[in-house]
Amino acid sequence: MAAVSSSRVTALLKLRSTIFQTAWNPTGIRTGAKYLRGNLRGPAMANYYPMQLSISKIAGKYPELELCDEDEQERLDDVASRKKRGKGAPKKAKDKSQSRRLGKRR
Amino acid sequence: MNARVLRDIKARIGVKDNEVLRKAYLYVARNTTLPPQVRHQAQLQLNTFGRYTRPTTVKNRCIATGRGRGIMSEFGLCRFQFRLKALKGDLNGVQKASW
Repeated sequence: MAAVSSSRVTALLKLRSTIFQTAWNPTGIRTGAKYLRGNLRGPAMANYYPMQLSISKIAGKYPELELCDEDEQERLDDVASRKKRGKGAPKKAKDKSQSRRLGKRR
Repeated sequence: MNARVLRDIKARIGVKDNEVLRKAYLYVARNTTLPPQVRHQAQLQLNTFGRYTRPTTVKNRCIATGRGRGIMSEFGLCRFQFRLKALKGDLNGVQKASW
């Protein structure tokens, strides 16, 4: 069998790439094609954690249901009662001089 | 659900939202057939993306406890939760080995 000339082989490969719609890149130049080739991973990544239902989420979505989050209500009541007794959280400092950290002993 | 899980969720959503744009910039920046100026501009644009848009910041954490180490990726559970659920029979096709 006669040897096939290399020009014929490259012509064949070129034809093959046009038929199968692949990029013709015989010298292996970096064209960045690999960044476009793969599938998008984002949607699968975003669905990793299963959806967690909570009463506050449902109540936020459907305000017409008038659901009551009992735990949250209890927390708010606790905060209110603590505030009444003067045990509430301190006011946020407006600037550095008001910061309580400065007077803190270390 | 702890702060690390929330951070991971943030990263995952960021990756999803920016994936197409980032890939387009990556294609331009890594394409050696394009003029160097264009590639450099694309690289500068890539650098402006935030931390939580890169897929490498995403970490698989335990979907039950949020633990970051010892995760079996097939189940998305850490090793202890995997054991508990497997012994309870919640994981299909998982059996305790005995021979």
